[in-house]
Amino acid sequence: MDRDAAIPLLLSALTALSASGCTASRFAGRGMAPLFSTPREVPNKIASPIRSDARVAVLWVGHATVLLQMDDKVFLTDPVFTGTVGELSRRLVEPGIDVDAVPAVDAVVISHLHFDHYSMGSIDALGPKIRRLVLPGGGLVYAADWSFDVRELPRWSTWSFDGAKITAVPVRHVGWRYGIDRGWMDTSFTGYVFEYHGLTVYFGGDTGYEPSFFRETARRFPSIDLALLPIAPLEPRDFMERNHEDPREALLALRDLGARRMVPIHFDTFVNSLDEVGDAPRALDRAAKEMHLEDRVERLAIGEQRVIVPRGARDAAPPSRAGRRE
Amino acid sequence: MSGAAVPDVVWVATQAVPSPELASFDHATRFGLRWQVTPLLYSFGTHRSARRWRAFIAEPFTRHVGSVELFASPEYMAADRAEDRASLRVGTRSYFPIASRGEYLSVSLGASYSTLRGGGVGYEAGAYTLFGVIGFALTYSPSKEAATWIGTLRFRYF
Repeated sequence: MDRDAAIPLLLSALTALSASGCTASRFAGRGMAPLFSTPREVPNKIASPIRSDARVAVLWVGHATVLLQMDDKVFLTDPVFTGTVGELSRRLVEPGIDVDAVPAVDAVVISHLHFDHYSMGSIDALGPKIRRLVLPGGGLVYAADWSFDVRELPRWSTWSFDGAKITAVPVRHVGWRYGIDRGWMDTSFTGYVFEYHGLTVYFGGDTGYEPSFFRETARRFPSIDLALLPIAPLEPRDFMERNHEDPREALLALRDLGARRMVPIHFDTFVNSLDEVGDAPRALDRAAKEMHLEDRVERLAIGEQRVIVPRGARDAAPPSRAGRRE
Repeated sequence: MSGAAVPDVVWVATQAVPSPELASFDHATRFGLRWQVTPLLYSFGTHRSARRWRAFIAEPFTRHVGSVELFASPEYMAADRAEDRASLRVGTRSYFPIASRGEYLSVSLGASYSTLRGGGVGYEAGAYTLFGVIGFALTYSPSKEAATWIGTLRFRYF
């Protein structure tokens, strides 16, 4: 059978599955359909992402992948640059920066082991640029024998190097990679806090809303300059809500953390839900307006870079703790 | 220990899943089934600071990132003679990652000894995808007593 004949047949089968109403089949149908399309191009990709005018700068590569600059240190979160995740889910949008343009990275952090966060192919592609790789506690079992330093960080433990510190902080999610390993991969999920030169950045990875976790993190890190917070997937909500914040909950987390700014992540890059492209950011805009938090939300397009703390002009007072949900 | 695989009901269930095969045997093509047990595996592809030895429970990553294993495979073949239907194959096999540290594609080479009709040596090669869960392996035996060629569609998790 040639490709031209096979594709419509496959699509028909997926459509039939999708029409059956079964949530699992709707996931499968939506996730695989982009396999036969080309990811949307990102125009004017940044070729030199190191900013001399920034103390903290963020470039959203897509999904949970963020290139974070804190003074002269560069961090990369959950790097995914491959065309698919888990072989069967293709990107909707190409990565916001080319691998060749990624500078040397002081530390790559992995929040958990799902394919859309821990991509072997992406780490191999970045290989020579990576100095350190941080895995969640228990995650080392799924680490290849890379040449760079690899460590797993259990909750609340810290890796210090060259004046920088990375601390694993609690989130609400799951630790398995293949599904069938859920019986024992029960600790390998985390968020991280980066500290360097008095700057503090929080990375939530992929988390459900658990206020006690965010408040304890705020207690231990009382001056967070920026929080990278997931805002999706949304639907089906009863299935997603335990392990995935929606936009309103992400804003509550922003308050709980007492962070000055938030950059939303984890939306509109891969198909991993029943959401339509644009659902999550629209909901975020609405919720931010209702909660009077618009000025603390920095929404980026994929491939866009923004200076969060400019050089020579440290943000003024931290946000009022009165704004936090108690 | 977190991160260490433990024998649970899922592991037992996946061990029971057979891999179907077709064998050229007694001048005919026969249908068969093969199960897989891994008494010992050494993973040379996992991180040097992680535990590299496995006994019976070997996660797909540990195997397909690069490893060598001792295996035992009870086999059933739909042969004419009852004494030819059940046999045991034991051997050694190495896995090599090709794409995405073996999660997207890996290959294997191995040698084995089968008890079928008094015994015979076999040589095999395989290729695996979808994190090693699905693959195809071809076994060749120069011994005239054994099945000459066996093609196995391999379903395997641990």
